[in-house]
Amino acid sequence: MITSHTKILQEDLQPKTIFLRGISKKYPLIRPVSKDVTDFKDFWALKDIFFEVYKGQALGIIGRNGAGKTTLLNIISGVISPTHGEISVNGKVLGLFNLGVGFQDELTGKENIFLNGIILGFTRKEIEDKLEAIIDFSELGEFINMPLGSYSQGMRLRLGFSIIANLDFDVLIIDEVLAVGDVLFQNKCFSRLMDFKRRGKTLLITTQSMDLIEKLCDRVLLLDHGEILFEGSVLEGINRYYALLNTERFFVGPLHRQKESWFENTKKWADNLSDWGKKFGTKDVVIDKVEFINKFGRRCESVKSGDPLRVKVNFVVRNIIKEPHFGVAIFRNDGVYCYGPNTAFDGYEIKEIKEGKGCFELQFKKLLLAPGEYMVSIAVWDKNEILPFDFHNGYYKLIVEDCCNSGNKFPAIPTQSQLLKIPFKIRAISFLQRMNLFKDRYRYIPDLEILRDRWERKIENGGIKIESVKLFNFYKQCCFFSFGEHSREKNILITNKPAELIVTFSGSINYNKSYLLWIGLYRDDGICCQHITQPFSRIRSCRILFPELPLLPGNYRLSIGIWGTSERDFLICHHGVYPFQTVFNQPDHGTVYLKHNWKWRFIEN
Amino acid sequence: MTAIIKELLRSRYLIQELVIKDLKLRYSRPLLGFFWAFLSPFLIVIIFYLVFSLILKVEIRGVPFIFYLMSAVFPWRFFQDSLICSVTSLIDNKNLIRESNFAHYLIPVSIVLVNMIIFFPPLLILIIVSLWVLKGLGIFIIFLPIILAIHIIITVASAIISSILYVKWRDTKYILEILLLLLFYLTPAFYPLSLVRTSFPPLLFRFYLCNPLVCILNLYRISIFRDFYSIIRQDISDLTFIIILPVIFAISLVLLAIYLYRKNKDSINDYLSY
Repeated sequence: MITSHTKILQEDLQPKTIFLRGISKKYPLIRPVSKDVTDFKDFWALKDIFFEVYKGQALGIIGRNGAGKTTLLNIISGVISPTHGEISVNGKVLGLFNLGVGFQDELTGKENIFLNGIILGFTRKEIEDKLEAIIDFSELGEFINMPLGSYSQGMRLRLGFSIIANLDFDVLIIDEVLAVGDVLFQNKCFSRLMDFKRRGKTLLITTQSMDLIEKLCDRVLLLDHGEILFEGSVLEGINRYYALLNTERFFVGPLHRQKESWFENTKKWADNLSDWGKKFGTKDVVIDKVEFINKFGRRCESVKSGDPLRVKVNFVVRNIIKEPHFGVAIFRNDGVYCYGPNTAFDGYEIKEIKEGKGCFELQFKKLLLAPGEYMVSIAVWDKNEILPFDFHNGYYKLIVEDCCNSGNKFPAIPTQSQLLKIPFKIRAISFLQRMNLFKDRYRYIPDLEILRDRWERKIENGGIKIESVKLFNFYKQCCFFSFGEHSREKNILITNKPAELIVTFSGSINYNKSYLLWIGLYRDDGICCQHITQPFSRIRSCRILFPELPLLPGNYRLSIGIWGTSERDFLICHHGVYPFQTVFNQPDHGTVYLKHNWKWRFIEN
Repeated sequence: MTAIIKELLRSRYLIQELVIKDLKLRYSRPLLGFFWAFLSPFLIVIIFYLVFSLILKVEIRGVPFIFYLMSAVFPWRFFQDSLICSVTSLIDNKNLIRESNFAHYLIPVSIVLVNMIIFFPPLLILIIVSLWVLKGLGIFIIFLPIILAIHIIITVASAIISSILYVKWRDTKYILEILLLLLFYLTPAFYPLSLVRTSFPPLLFRFYLCNPLVCILNLYRISIFRDFYSIIRQDISDLTFIIILPVIFAISLVLLAIYLYRKNKDSINDYLSY
């Protein structure tokens, strides 16, 4: 019988081996060698790092090159000291940093073993005892008596790893070197590292091989630009890292190169309103019947905002057609293009349709449109969207109704002026405050009519000031302007990725009064997409999180205002002042991305 | 101070290994090996002898001119080589330093030790030859260890100081080279002290004597050559001065080295990379 002696301890009871609190590292200002560099400043390699590692844990540190991984490891190993912060490491630390560190090219492998071991703090006697094991592990054979200058990178790794693998330590740090070894040696390293883990040694590893991290580590730390972006489970950390790499591909590098695979704009208006209600096309395909189906599976003419919607289209094929694609477009009744998905944009290829009948169906998971009247076009196009087989332009009317449970929308702004209902979360207000404010629910509604001729203007009536407006993408990467618009290229969000808006205000806020924060999302052409209103009192900042910002590529503006409850005007209003841009990796038409699926079926005659 | 001595004792293996490494790097590849440690100082002495004795005809009273040269060139070379090697040593060994966080000053210390090992054999040969040629050694030979100790302490301290300064100010190396050349000509290595005394006004001569290396060089000569004491007495009236000055100088240099190291030890590694 096997009895296990393993005790599962509470995390807090486990001894901490490494403990970092608020570690920051500034590299000192150096006079630039090149005269071209005129603007130079201190470089913060690490900013305010907090974390701890328990005994026996394996922590993987991942991040792009230059994220601060090596600096962090150097600080833990004590080679460099932090500018601010507190660090404590219990036990002996061994590190395997860049290959060749600590090695002397002129000395032989064996001499280097002694030199290295003694530098790492062991006595000559201890190393002599382990010498045999080190040479065996390295498998260097005859080369051990050759000068190190003749070694390849892989052989250096073998020697370096063999030395530390056979000496005694509590914390082992390995910095991006294992990749140099061949597969056999990597496996050997890996099993030795697993062995250390079982023996309760603490491991810190940085590598670009996510495979190794996944197999070896219990926890990962994702670093970027000297800050911890994520700390926690291995799989999530790795996924976030990959996601980070994907966004970085856009944000790093010269402008003309970075935007290659991204679409920056979409069609935002209907072509010609007078054509609405007409049918065009060669009539090789004839659309028979178009049905809107609501969430209960019934035919309907109106759906509630936020509900699922299916558009079912039956058609007859008269002549064989090649490479057709189906499209559905939704316009607001004034011609604003809401969304126009088609099968070509979504990457489907339909080779040909033979004579017969068929139907296709477009399923929207959530219709994020504001209540109002919309017109729908249905089309079957040829490959390049030049020649329609059948095109019912603005032919069908769809009514979107207000849904009864309108979430945390306290005061109702007339919904007609809006276009979208993008879901968001406000993290500003406690539950109690919410209850209090609930009483005043409909007492004050900002009168947005007065904004009509205030586009791109800042109006400040009261003593309140907007201190900063920051828009982050999910990785807290491209934070955009506070007030300096110096980083315009970076005001870029990605369609369907999370976004977070933080507004902070200052000035004479009367704590006994309630205010209303109003945020307007506008298109660049002044079409209002959505209003967000939030009553507040006693706070100085407001965070609004969009779990997925579905705005399609294009230029947008943010408006921010504070409405006093007793006055009939804004205390402060920055209308259309904060520009931002969204990009998306697939072409599309319209303003908002609605998640959808396509289905189609053909019956040949 | 005791902490530093303790640390030195604790890292004796490391110093030993660093010294062995350095000696191996220097002498394992040349064909003549460690023999160069003897050969090169003697060759230098021969060159000096040819220049100053046959061409410039410098006259020294009391001791043969070649001995006079040797007694200056050997200690001077120890001092100069130690400093020249040490000044860039932290940068040269940044690989080692970044491997583990040992005290930085161990590197200049080990370099001075290496140079000391090379310095000792020629010095021993000089003593033996002077015993044989001058027929006996003076009583002052018993002070030789003390003089050596002072000289080594001055060398170690200035090596540490220059190596730390070089990490932040790379100009240090060039300033040091010029300074060493100046100091060499300001020490009576190949000219007699009496020549300086007769050609300098008394105040300037006093100032000239304030160079601790002048004192140390003359102390070496007093202890090694039998009759040198009486010769030097004609130039310098109070000999306590040339003993006290190097001691004070050594102590102040050590204090300065400790202060500089304490102040900079956290930031040195930041500067090593660039």
